[in-house]
Amino acid sequence: MPKVYNWQIGREMEYPYAEARPRKQFAMIMDTNKCIACQTCTVACKTTWTSSRGQEYMFWNNVETKPYGYFPLGWDVKILDKLGIQDVDGPVYKGKTLFEAAPEGERVLGYLPDDLDYAHPNISEDDSLGNMPQGAFITMPHMQWMHYLPRICNHCTYPACVGACPRQSAYKRPEDGIVLIDQMRCRGYRECVRGCPYKKPFFNSMTRTSEKCVGCYPAVETGRQTQCTITCIGKIRLQGFISAPDKAREDNPMDYLVHIVKIAKPLYPQLGLEPNVYYIPPIHVPAFYTRQLFGAGVEHAVHTYRKAMDDKKLLAALLLFGATPMILDRFKLEGDMAVGFDDKGQEVVRVPMREPTFLRVAFDEAYKTHRSNIT
Amino acid sequence: MNGWNRALWLSALVAGLAGSATAGTEAQPSTAPAAASAHYAGAPTRTAIVPAEAMRVIRVEGNEPLLDPVSPLWAGAKPVAVTMQPQAVTTPGNPQPAITTLNVRSVHNGHWLSLLIEWKDPTKSERVVVDQFGDQVAVELPVRFRADAPPNPMMGAPGERVSIVQWRAAFQADLDRKREMTIRDNYPYAQTDLYPDQVLNTLDMRAYMGAGGVDNPVTKHRESPVLDQVAEGFGTLTVKQHQEADGKGVWKDGSWHVVITVPMAPTTANSPRLEPGSQTVAAFAVWDGGSKEVGSRKSWSDWVPLALSK
Repeated sequence: MPKVYNWQIGREMEYPYAEARPRKQFAMIMDTNKCIACQTCTVACKTTWTSSRGQEYMFWNNVETKPYGYFPLGWDVKILDKLGIQDVDGPVYKGKTLFEAAPEGERVLGYLPDDLDYAHPNISEDDSLGNMPQGAFITMPHMQWMHYLPRICNHCTYPACVGACPRQSAYKRPEDGIVLIDQMRCRGYRECVRGCPYKKPFFNSMTRTSEKCVGCYPAVETGRQTQCTITCIGKIRLQGFISAPDKAREDNPMDYLVHIVKIAKPLYPQLGLEPNVYYIPPIHVPAFYTRQLFGAGVEHAVHTYRKAMDDKKLLAALLLFGATPMILDRFKLEGDMAVGFDDKGQEVVRVPMREPTFLRVAFDEAYKTHRSNIT
Repeated sequence: MNGWNRALWLSALVAGLAGSATAGTEAQPSTAPAAASAHYAGAPTRTAIVPAEAMRVIRVEGNEPLLDPVSPLWAGAKPVAVTMQPQAVTTPGNPQPAITTLNVRSVHNGHWLSLLIEWKDPTKSERVVVDQFGDQVAVELPVRFRADAPPNPMMGAPGERVSIVQWRAAFQADLDRKREMTIRDNYPYAQTDLYPDQVLNTLDMRAYMGAGGVDNPVTKHRESPVLDQVAEGFGTLTVKQHQEADGKGVWKDGSWHVVITVPMAPTTANSPRLEPGSQTVAAFAVWDGGSKEVGSRKSWSDWVPLALSK
């Protein structure tokens, strides 16, 4: 099998196809500290893309509660169990990726979920790790914790779905790195469903083909962020294009947060797919857990995030989340304003670093009435 | 080198080439996949398969395709036991296939060549959801047969096109149902709201119907329970624009009885012309849905000689 370089695991690895990075790479950053699991992103995606026959059970975007929630059931614990305990500490991953662990006669280590695994999308929502004992008080990190994990297709650099499909029906677009399943070419073998560890390809029993998150490519092609990003109530998401680490541009908000400040981490990088959805780790969850989820560097990410108030440039980048529906190619801090530009250099958004305050007098002379505090 | 070796050599040669396959049309079947199709290490080597005895295709009366698995017209045709071997050349493979023998007999009436394929299968698999696969069987015929150089039996090779007619239990169930399938056929208690095609006009709704909006042949196949296809090697299988093959499958008492019929004077260039009194070869592939067999997880046979009676 060809060897490709995966920067998230710091080494070369095997992959069924040779290295061919796209001209731009679709990427998303999610701040888990702001997610409230309102599921607005889920509903936005569903009403846009999965309202048709056979798509009733699909959630191309889903939000699950960790530690005990998953959709489909046990997706991550099952593949971690299959892969076995691996050494994830350190900048260079010493364990096996899913391609390296592929059994004889298979292209990738995977499994096919049961139909019923998709029947419980909200399982363990809001369940925390355990009960708080009598008299306990909250520490940091929390001794009993839960956090939300919103997920979409990661549009991986080395997708398992692309590697697994014997017909090349799944493919990665060279123009923006979005991974798609060709609905004319697919014959419903479900090798992609077996192969993807994140279980984001879904089988449609009415069309008898497999489908997945399309990265809202019609919006992205016109410079607009995805549906899940722009509808997010908590403004936790930023979608843009990320560069490879050696080509990182400090004024690209994606490159800045992932490669330079290193505050946003990939999901289960040890599986070896180089996923392109990055997470600012939950600061209240102990590192023993988040290290398994996001890889080495979580402590640094949490530490940096907690000191964001002292770093104006970092704060400016974070304030651009949810500030505009347009994809930002460049950002800068201009005095007390965070400014975002599209890829044509046009200013598309300007966010004040400090929210302006207005003092309103208690008695309004014009209306001859008192203002009351509403709590 | 012969066609079979050439296929393996080509697979090794293109190892390492990246890129996505073209959608493919009948004139230009889609490009073959790279790298991973090479013979994988540790796979069972291709043991010498005792060639099946030649199948005599007897001539019967009629002008129409013979579609009935229990017709008395089959009585005169001698069945041949075809050995089915594990697919172990390309990944994903199927080292322990569920079906190891097919009983096949064949007749023709000068216009249609029909094959009756029978095999034991205790489970009738026709409901296709994420963890359930349908039963399938396929017949492969070389588009142009040369006795001294038969094409690669593993779905042909570039320049050696094969015609592959695949019957699917799921399509058979669709036809037998005699009405449009709904989600409640798979999930009897499903509650649904409006679908996009119930509120949008025809042009707009297709974007939201997935494979149904691009007329993918595995999605809606109303003409018959078979897919009439052409291939030039692994990963190039393309559905013919004009479907001429037909078939019918019946499951009874733990066995499938499937008829596949092809025209002997087809109208497309990608189907073989079959003359009474001539020779050709046929190969078979079968999938047991109950064992989660699909795609390359199949068992397949080598060429079986066919001798058509005058």
